[in-house]
Amino acid sequence: MAELIQFVTTGITVGMVYALIALGFVLIWKSSGVANLALGQLVLISSWFTYGMLVQVGLPVWLGFPLVILFAMGLGWITERFALRPLIGQPILSLITVTLGIAFFIQGAVSFIWPKSVAALPRLFPEEPIHIGTAVVSQEYFWAAVISLALFGALSLFFKYHKMGIAMRAVADDQMAVQACGIPVTKIFSQSWMFACVLAAVGGILMSSIGGITFGLVETGLKAFSVVILGGLDSFLGAIVAGPIIGLAENLGGGYLTPLTWPGIREVIPFIIIIIVMCIRPYGLFGERRIERI
Amino acid sequence: MDLPTGTRNYNYAHDMAIFRTRTHWIWLSVLLAFLFTGPLYWGNYWLGVANLIGITIIAATGLNILTGYCGQLSIGHAGFIAVGAYTSAVLTNRFELPFIVGLISAGFIAGLAGMIFGIPSLRVKGFYLAISTIAAQFIIIWVINHWASATGGFTGISVPPASVGGISFISQGSQFYLIMGIVILVIFLAKNLARTRPGRAFVAIRDNDLAAQVMGINLFHYKLIAFFIGCFLAGIAGSLLAHWTGFMNAENFTMMDSILYIGMIIIGGLGTTVGPIFGAISIRMLQQAITLISPNLESVFPTLPAGFTTGIGPMVFGLVIILFLILEPRGLAHRWTLLRTSYRLWPF
Repeated sequence: MAELIQFVTTGITVGMVYALIALGFVLIWKSSGVANLALGQLVLISSWFTYGMLVQVGLPVWLGFPLVILFAMGLGWITERFALRPLIGQPILSLITVTLGIAFFIQGAVSFIWPKSVAALPRLFPEEPIHIGTAVVSQEYFWAAVISLALFGALSLFFKYHKMGIAMRAVADDQMAVQACGIPVTKIFSQSWMFACVLAAVGGILMSSIGGITFGLVETGLKAFSVVILGGLDSFLGAIVAGPIIGLAENLGGGYLTPLTWPGIREVIPFIIIIIVMCIRPYGLFGERRIERI
Repeated sequence: MDLPTGTRNYNYAHDMAIFRTRTHWIWLSVLLAFLFTGPLYWGNYWLGVANLIGITIIAATGLNILTGYCGQLSIGHAGFIAVGAYTSAVLTNRFELPFIVGLISAGFIAGLAGMIFGIPSLRVKGFYLAISTIAAQFIIIWVINHWASATGGFTGISVPPASVGGISFISQGSQFYLIMGIVILVIFLAKNLARTRPGRAFVAIRDNDLAAQVMGINLFHYKLIAFFIGCFLAGIAGSLLAHWTGFMNAENFTMMDSILYIGMIIIGGLGTTVGPIFGAISIRMLQQAITLISPNLESVFPTLPAGFTTGIGPMVFGLVIILFLILEPRGLAHRWTLLRTSYRLWPF
């Protein structure tokens, strides 16, 4: 029983972090129609940057985090401005592969600047674990869930009431009409990239405070794809619902299937889910069903 | 076709010829002579590089058929190469079957794996397909790492050198002839495939799948054929790679390698026969340049960060991919066409 509670709580909280990262993907996909496959590398480089600020430079947390957010925004802006904007109107194949090039570049940059492959962030959250019944869950998970929920709330308010958020939703709906209304569409594109990078950075910090900074963070970003696929590519709600589902499947499957199969089944469960969803319901749980015409 | 002005073909054979004029044939024989006398004056090191390039050309040609002609983006190519490599390794090492059996079954098993993971392409395309091939990559590598009784798991597996009918290909020079022979065969077949019914169906599917379907092309059928051929070639390349390296583990087939193959066909030019050749040569030579130059740079500039040697490679490749997509999306093949045209029109 204690085991079950443990798997469920870690699953749901980790899943929320996946959902957070996935939201960044959905944001870019909805506003500019670009599939951002560099998500994992964005998570990786922001975590390493946090490490650089907090450990290598030795900044206090209150100064370090705003710098990380600024860095993420700058990264998003540069990526959009110099790699994506010249390709507006190109076929989807180019748009996907250019993000692969970005992924390659960032991964190189990470091993260029931070040659060690493993590091740990300083403790951000209190040390004593939380007891739920008989299960013991460390505080990181609890705070990851709280921060993710708070960000979901803030983002949904932002999209509902803030002018920029409304403009973003409008761009997602109809680019031509929005441009005719005088909203600078390219500016919205770069804003959505900045948002996505900030979400990736927050997700990266939460994940690396749980498991340390490794190249496994790239896979965290890739697991966010299974969240997007399951939830539906163009649905914010889908990402938020599918995140905990993926987290649960990963942790419960990892916990209970390992004796039956080879160890490490946990790592591939999200990818197996991708293949299953693709075959059964490719538009996901909440995604829009597209009807294509010639 | 891109014939010069005033030139026309008078019969069908002429129309179908890949090498039309005497000059073409002369250039071809010069190239082949250069290639096949290569082992005489290239060092062992550069022969190794040439072998790797040859293997890469085969794999990239496969990916080009799948992505360049048929438009199905696959980010799991290294995974399918791994399937071929391990099939061949397991058959020749554990079951002691001859190399040729390993080679052919590597192609077929990898092709089959490609077809299985290509099934989602019936319903999805573009980004969705890219994601499902990433999933394929991870699932394949996971199976290889954990099915230790067959594949050797994380420690890896050793592969006996290739041998056909009593001749064993142990030295780099002898492997060079084996690999280059297969490369030429593959390029010839790929060139011809593009001109057959399946090849033209692939292009139709790439350009507009709905229109292709309306014209009577069975989408699912042809997409699966494209997956099979693309991954078949990946398997052949994998088998050659296994017998060439002699020892391998799953570290040799990461997702970064898959991205590198996509980079190759983009740099070379999607949907052309020469594209994968140019792409494979330029990426592998770039890798050589980086591995040769970066230690020297590090000794000249001691202030360079410690991660310079490992980091600079991916950074350069990423940048090259991005720049080619932005500045020359038609790749080196387009430059090659321009060069040939200006040669033909010289002195104008």
